[in-house]
Amino acid sequence: MSLNLPGLLALGVGYLSLLFLCALAVERGWLPIRLVRHPAVYTLALGVYASAWAVYGSLEFASHYGFGYLAYYLGVAGAFLLAPVLLVPIQRMTRTHQLSSLADLFAFRFRSRWVGTLLTLVSLLAVLPLLALQIQTMGHAIHRLSGVGSPSLLALGFSLLIALFAMLFGARHSHLSARHDSLLAAIALESLVKLVAMLALGAFALFGIFEGPADLQAWLDGAGHLDQTRIAQLDPAQWRTLLLLFFSAAFLMPHMFHITFAETLDRRTLLQSSWALPLFLLLMALPVPLILWATQRLGVHEVGAGAAYLAFGLSSSWWVDSLAFIAGLAAASGTMIIISLALSGMVLNHLVLVAHPPIAQPDLYRWLRWLRRGLIAAVIVGGWLFYRLVGVRHDLSTLGLASFVGMAQCLPGMLALLYWPGANRKGMVSGLAVGMAIWLAGLWVPLLTDYPAMVFLPPGLEILDGAPAWYSVTLVSLAANILTFILVSLATRTSAGERAAAEACSVDAVVRPMRLPLVATNGAEFKRHLARVLGEDVANREVERALNALGLSPLDGRPYALRRLRDRIQANLSGLMGPSVAQDIVDRCLPYRHNGPSATEDIHFVESRLEAYRSRLTGLARELDGLRRYHRRTLTRLPIGLCAFGEDGELLMWNDALAELSGIEGDSVIGAHRDTLPTPWNDLLGQILATPQGRLYKQPVSLARGQRYLTLHRAGLQGEQGEDGGNVILVEDHSEMKWLEDELVHAARLASIGQLATGVAHEIGNPITGISSLAQNLRYDTDDPVLLETADQIQNLTDRVSKIVGSLVGFAHGGRHVAGANFVSTSMASVTDEALHLIQLARSGEDIQYENRCPTAPAVFGDAQRLQQVMINLLGNARDASKPGDRVIVDANPEDRYLHLTITDEGHGIAPQVRDHLFEPFTTTKPAGEGTGLGLPLVYSIVAEHDGQIEIESPPAGQVSGTRIHLWLPLHQENGESTHEPDSDR
Amino acid sequence: MYVYRIMLFLVFGGYLFSPLLMSGWANPDAAWYRPFLIWGGLIALTLWLEQKRKLDERR
Repeated sequence: MSLNLPGLLALGVGYLSLLFLCALAVERGWLPIRLVRHPAVYTLALGVYASAWAVYGSLEFASHYGFGYLAYYLGVAGAFLLAPVLLVPIQRMTRTHQLSSLADLFAFRFRSRWVGTLLTLVSLLAVLPLLALQIQTMGHAIHRLSGVGSPSLLALGFSLLIALFAMLFGARHSHLSARHDSLLAAIALESLVKLVAMLALGAFALFGIFEGPADLQAWLDGAGHLDQTRIAQLDPAQWRTLLLLFFSAAFLMPHMFHITFAETLDRRTLLQSSWALPLFLLLMALPVPLILWATQRLGVHEVGAGAAYLAFGLSSSWWVDSLAFIAGLAAASGTMIIISLALSGMVLNHLVLVAHPPIAQPDLYRWLRWLRRGLIAAVIVGGWLFYRLVGVRHDLSTLGLASFVGMAQCLPGMLALLYWPGANRKGMVSGLAVGMAIWLAGLWVPLLTDYPAMVFLPPGLEILDGAPAWYSVTLVSLAANILTFILVSLATRTSAGERAAAEACSVDAVVRPMRLPLVATNGAEFKRHLARVLGEDVANREVERALNALGLSPLDGRPYALRRLRDRIQANLSGLMGPSVAQDIVDRCLPYRHNGPSATEDIHFVESRLEAYRSRLTGLARELDGLRRYHRRTLTRLPIGLCAFGEDGELLMWNDALAELSGIEGDSVIGAHRDTLPTPWNDLLGQILATPQGRLYKQPVSLARGQRYLTLHRAGLQGEQGEDGGNVILVEDHSEMKWLEDELVHAARLASIGQLATGVAHEIGNPITGISSLAQNLRYDTDDPVLLETADQIQNLTDRVSKIVGSLVGFAHGGRHVAGANFVSTSMASVTDEALHLIQLARSGEDIQYENRCPTAPAVFGDAQRLQQVMINLLGNARDASKPGDRVIVDANPEDRYLHLTITDEGHGIAPQVRDHLFEPFTTTKPAGEGTGLGLPLVYSIVAEHDGQIEIESPPAGQVSGTRIHLWLPLHQENGESTHEPDSDR
Repeated sequence: MYVYRIMLFLVFGGYLFSPLLMSGWANPDAAWYRPFLIWGGLIALTLWLEQKRKLDERR
């Protein structure tokens, strides 16, 4: 005995203090969060599976069955290898519905609180031997090392310390599924400690006792061979049964379920552990045979239960014993902590809260927290009592296997939960009851009473007679369990609730929820309804939490959003109080309305689920999903607005074009009822839904983008049997077509006026010419100064009328010409004067001051008539944009080989988004009916004919408002040709 | 998704043939570390399949 009792106690307490310190460091944020949440921490925490069995039990097993001890590691490695198809679906379910234990999962799937209660009782009965195993190893190890004191009392002391740790760091949150970083870090540290300790023991055996691998091999082939031949080889069938037991333990054992699914980080980390955990277990398993062979070489022979503690015989030095002790303590304490947490949660949700529902508890969160802490202590003390009364008489293999066989009774239920939607509650409960009865009689009761196992072997299985009890009990109980489960499930009816839950759980099914309206109409009403049961404070916090998680507003009244909110609250309450109590509360406080239209499938939700499941689809399903995506994309990206309504008036689709037209994003309205859509869409879509013809043409609608004219078409989506399926509506924006029609009418009217003006000018021209001639004659016929002055005035006035008529005729003929035919030297000063003259004839714009600052020279090379039209259009636009009293200035300067002409006004200017389209036909900033949208395109084409350039500057430099038009026209050269040469800069 | 089928095949194949692992204990022709080598190879294969699965899901 190299270690005395005080030394051992100091070592144990010191180690547990290190755990406290680690948890405290994480809790206080002394360690970086990147380190705390590193996937390696999670993988090491999963190493909680390697309990005291891995340190001591494996040695005992290896001393009996050689490499048979590997089944303990390889079974769980196989389960993690199947993580993508086995563990990830369970993780998805537990995260979606906030299920924190196996009992939660079964109660959710089989829609019964009693199933949860049954699973909790099964887990308690099955896990007690495993808990006792951990405590036994601690007590025996201390007693073996120190040789003094009562092992059970020493074990009790350590158990209480472990319970204290679990209560402090494992019950921090009321929500069972909340992640406990400090606890995970401490468990990861425990795994690291036991791994390092085991590797150090293995290294000591290999290099301290043997002289390396070659020496070991030589010993095995020589002197040690006889020892090895004495070790029995496990029967292949028994080996496979062991593998199955440990495979199922990976996700059925409460502590493994807790770490894998309740504390998990994300899917990626779980998938990473599919190879990382087997690697950890490989390293844990490797030293076991080395230690065994080293003790055999040293001549240390232990039989029976004593073989578990062979590591203490490796050396008489204190540090080797300390390593063996710390490895066992780390393994046992980690497993005890997580088992106590997992079982306390199950007992709370499925025994305590079912018996005593927390109706209107004043401080629900605190009450739940303290209740849980009490249960943690009770579980650990229960484990110690089981060890004290029962476990002390059995070896580790007997205790451990009894536990694993017990939990394996849940395997048929778990597999059915994932892969058989036809399974029902009656089948599961019957199968489990039969399997448990066989297990209790065959393994559990013999543990208590020391009576031999009572196993009834059905005819045909006589071959099992004489086989180890654990083996025959496993085969018979599982076979009976599965057979009963299948037969009863097939023979009995499955309730609608169970079918829905089965779809939610099944790997191959997509949840197809129904669109039922809720009684509560927004988040505030949710709080009010829930407060009746949960109390105001808890109701507010739970609703706010769910709203935040979903990113919804408390005022969102969309039926789709409210259904998601209800689901989320139920999931969150499930994490707090288990699925049974959560479902009761939600059904009672947030009921559906059953007097509305009949429920139909929630297509939008189904689609969102399909999007999430894509990577799981293969073969035909994947091809069909590709087709679905193609059709979906076609509808979403259709360049015409499209929306679809369910028969109850709920909006199911709102495509991209409609989102752009309306300025309303699909996500904010999908799932809303038609009446609650923003104005004017509620009325407009209401009209088309009510119109029997299913068409509405060019409906004027005021949108954020201004007045639009929309045409709507509706089609019913009745099924082949005539059942109602809602409506699909196409929304076309016919505004431009409407404006084009208006402009065409306007242009036709203008053309008539132009023809009229030409005719009138012609008719007026003749009498005016006569009047002018008569006035001329009058000047020749008289010397009377009064008459001469009158004749002059008449002639001036007729000249003026002739000029007006000439201008009108010229303007009317302005659109018909041959480009370049009339190009001469043209003074822009006189062209501007002419244009101003005509502009000023119009009544509007009388208060506007025009200034023509154009110099008479140099002249440009162009068609005066066409350039006059350019100036009329540009000055007319300047006038229309100006306020009374504003100035319009025309200026010109020679610039290189061009005349740079500017027309500057002080009007309201042009918006940037319109400026780029001004030279496109029918683009106008004027009110409908006042502008044709043809003026500037005409200007552009005339300037282009002259090889000139036009640019718009709005507002002009140095002004706060207004517009400046820049024109560059080629200068006229003395030899009669334009100076124009292609100028790439402009 | 096809990677999952390989994993299933691997696990069930391993389950059926795994009793062969135990035969090395008292067999002078087999190195003592043979089961661990096979196990290490399986872990390497899983790691490789995990990379394949990531690529498969990314497509």
